[in-house]
Amino acid sequence: MASELLQLLVDGLTIGVVYVLLAAGLSVIFGVMNVINFAHGELFALGAYFALALIAPFGGSAFFLALFVAPLLVGIIGVGIERFTVRPLYGRNPLYHILLTFGLVLVINDLIYLIWEPGSVTLPLPELLSGSIAALGVTASVYNLFIIVFGALMAIAVWALFEFTKYGLIVRAGAQDRQMVRNLGIDIDRYYSLVFGMGAALAAFAGIILGGYQTVNPAMGMSVIIPAFVIVVLGGLGSFRGAVVGGLFVGLVQTALRTYAPIFEGTGIFVLMIGVLLVRPHGLFGTDAADEHTGNLLSGPRGGFLDPQTRTRLGLAMVGLLALVPLGAGTLYSTYAVTLVIEIIIWGLFALSLDFVMGYTGLVSLGHALFYGLGAYTVALGLAHVSQSAFVVLALAIVLSAVIAWGIGFLSIRVSGVYFAMITLGFAELFYNMLGQLDITGGSDGLFGLSTYYGLAGVGVELDEIAVFLGPVAITGQSLFYYIALSALVASFLLTRRMLNSPFGAVLKSIRENEQRATFIGYETTVYKRRAFVVSGALAGLAGGLFTLNAGYATPSLVDWLNSGEVIVMVILGGMGTLYGPIIGSGIFFGLEELLTGFTDRWRLVLGTIFVLFVILLPGGLVSLPSRLAPALPVTPGRGPNPEPEPESNPDPEPATDVDDAHTRGDD
Amino acid sequence: MALEPSESTDPTEPSDPIETTQQRTDTPLLQTENLVKRFGQFTATDRVDLTIERGEFRSVIGPNGAGKTTLFNLITGALPVTAGAIYFDGVDITTLSPSARVRRGVGRSFQISNVFGGLTVRENVRLAIQSVARDEYTAVESLFKPTDRYDELNDRTEAILERIGLAHVAAEQANALAYGDKRRLEIGVVLATDPELVLFDEPTAGMSVEETQETIDLLEAVLVDQTLLLIEHDIELVMELSDRITVLNGGQILAEGTPAEIAANQDVQNAYLGGMTE
Repeated sequence: MASELLQLLVDGLTIGVVYVLLAAGLSVIFGVMNVINFAHGELFALGAYFALALIAPFGGSAFFLALFVAPLLVGIIGVGIERFTVRPLYGRNPLYHILLTFGLVLVINDLIYLIWEPGSVTLPLPELLSGSIAALGVTASVYNLFIIVFGALMAIAVWALFEFTKYGLIVRAGAQDRQMVRNLGIDIDRYYSLVFGMGAALAAFAGIILGGYQTVNPAMGMSVIIPAFVIVVLGGLGSFRGAVVGGLFVGLVQTALRTYAPIFEGTGIFVLMIGVLLVRPHGLFGTDAADEHTGNLLSGPRGGFLDPQTRTRLGLAMVGLLALVPLGAGTLYSTYAVTLVIEIIIWGLFALSLDFVMGYTGLVSLGHALFYGLGAYTVALGLAHVSQSAFVVLALAIVLSAVIAWGIGFLSIRVSGVYFAMITLGFAELFYNMLGQLDITGGSDGLFGLSTYYGLAGVGVELDEIAVFLGPVAITGQSLFYYIALSALVASFLLTRRMLNSPFGAVLKSIRENEQRATFIGYETTVYKRRAFVVSGALAGLAGGLFTLNAGYATPSLVDWLNSGEVIVMVILGGMGTLYGPIIGSGIFFGLEELLTGFTDRWRLVLGTIFVLFVILLPGGLVSLPSRLAPALPVTPGRGPNPEPEPESNPDPEPATDVDDAHTRGDD
Repeated sequence: MALEPSESTDPTEPSDPIETTQQRTDTPLLQTENLVKRFGQFTATDRVDLTIERGEFRSVIGPNGAGKTTLFNLITGALPVTAGAIYFDGVDITTLSPSARVRRGVGRSFQISNVFGGLTVRENVRLAIQSVARDEYTAVESLFKPTDRYDELNDRTEAILERIGLAHVAAEQANALAYGDKRRLEIGVVLATDPELVLFDEPTAGMSVEETQETIDLLEAVLVDQTLLLIEHDIELVMELSDRITVLNGGQILAEGTPAEIAANQDVQNAYLGGMTE
């Protein structure tokens, strides 16, 4: 028994040390620059791949060489990332960094696929580190011990660097007050690049040593980034001590769960994170000093280019055009067009639901796929157990999603900003892991083979049975579903727009503009945010429900965090805080995917690059493009495009209140 | 130093011959009892007993770090108290949320930029009106009825806009307003929440002499019916405007009295004013 525990300790510490290195880099980058680096996992994978490339010509003995050269290379890449993508975003809300680095994830991950073979490879190890040692009834491989010792030394070295060197002092001072350090004549930007590079190098170290322990594969970054975030959030963003304690703790807990309670292996750490955040909203060792008082997510007027009447006409024309799509299917173009547009419509609805909370109250939900999946599974289970009426199960999906959204909102909305993003991510990952393990949800296979009819109380039609021919035009079940989805989207759009024009919507906008002020004119802002979250969750559930009705299945992959990320991509691409922008974003996303897959499998690389450029250059999304360009045009059409002023010209003498009014440039 | 002004702890004793509103003169509008706020080891507010009568213009002064802003944050609910109690209109509001306090009549004005910059001037004011009128409408109405169909709310909004002299720019973005107009809007938003007590945190910080005078004129013109509590660094201004002055030092009340009394107070002179008054 004792030896079993000791074995557990050795295994747990091995993983734990890797987590510590990974989390330390993440945490330091956040602590110093307020940047949430989602690309950290990909830098970790890059480290392993660079090592692989370096070792290949020389064999295992080159491991030690690679152990130092590869992190150096990754560090240089890190410096480049900071210099060219992160730096333009300083002063904006840290949530923008989440968006930016999510784009980088897509880019780097696809680059890895592009350059190296997909599939797992073993990292050759030197003779020195092979073999094993048996002592106290435990057999530990030499490599295990090497990881623990090496990792511990690295962690101590980083700590000492920050604690005892002049470099560390300047960086810590910069984290406290950037401007002050600059006033002392120190080029703080250069130090930031170095910190980012160092964080990237730490991730690379972690990638190499884990690559030697397990295997090297393109998905390795994706598989560690979420646990790494859990650790950083657990320990407290920006706290080095938190990263160390959290990393070792999670490593041990995961190993113990795998041994003693495999059912909870996936879910355990998320329960832990959610629990800790609820009790200590800034993590175990975090302080609220790291809270984001650095710029609003997106404030200021929206759209503004077209006058309302033109916009209404344009909207109607778009809907009319969309309504025509199924009519040409099979004659003018293949029926696949209908399938594609259905996908765009469903994801457009999903993106619209996210925009309602993100664009209007500033709550960035990184776990919105939860509601999408919830709606999908409700429909699937409803069809199997409750009713085969599509309308009944869709209603169930909406109601259940709303209820769960209220519950999650109740727990999450008290934590703010970045922590809200993390806690919603935690809930989604928890749900994802539960879906894969429960029998009722069909485990990792999901639920499929569902049949439905469109009607109530047993009276209705099954879409498969329908095929009406009117001359060359065939009305099929698929076309009818198309109209159902389109109606759902239009109705949801009209409903949310109506809400935003009501007093309720006015409060949401005021929260987006200035939450503190909203509180001090008497609004209980958390209550309003929660209501918005419920509306949003319900609509996301509807989108997921429509997906399952159409596709006939529901699988855990619907709740994958990449889906949550991609829906954010659509919202930003189209234009946050506009309702219609995200729908356009969905169209562009799938349109691009469709277009690019014709040329390359690596469409995410292109898409990620486009997204990164959007976040940096056009945070208002595509719909802001016309009003951005308008001042440059000789004649401005319509009713004077922008009454909005240059937002930068703020005569405020000193921001003495704790609300920062550094407006973003995406105000139009 | 002694907690000198014992009379302020006694709510029943009528204070100065200042104009108190007619309806209820029995309870003071705001009263804090033994208010304490600690941040770790540091005591920012130390057993503060503050009593403010209806209609009073009270200023809180004190050197940097005296605990003025902390005291404000405790009264408005931005910070939870460590110990003690706060009564507003005789009701214990110590544990109420900031927004609940606003609805009871505690208004707070911020520094100039603190309006909803991306919304129009009219929307800014209407939001404040809507906040206090919220019980007049059903949940369904407030979710689905467009704001421009609330005639009564809109009438009240226009009335406030007239009163603060911004009716002609009602459709403009708040961000686009000139400096002085933003100040007016800020005060208008506070006024629109129909407060009985308004707290001002250095309303003239960073302003020129003329701007300061304009702001003060505006305050006096628009907020005639309200009780005002002001934090201010400008001693001259405070001496000129206040009915009574409370001097904080090290989190404690050092002295309290009319401007003349404060100017003559030796403790205050030693601790704070130094040689500034002749």
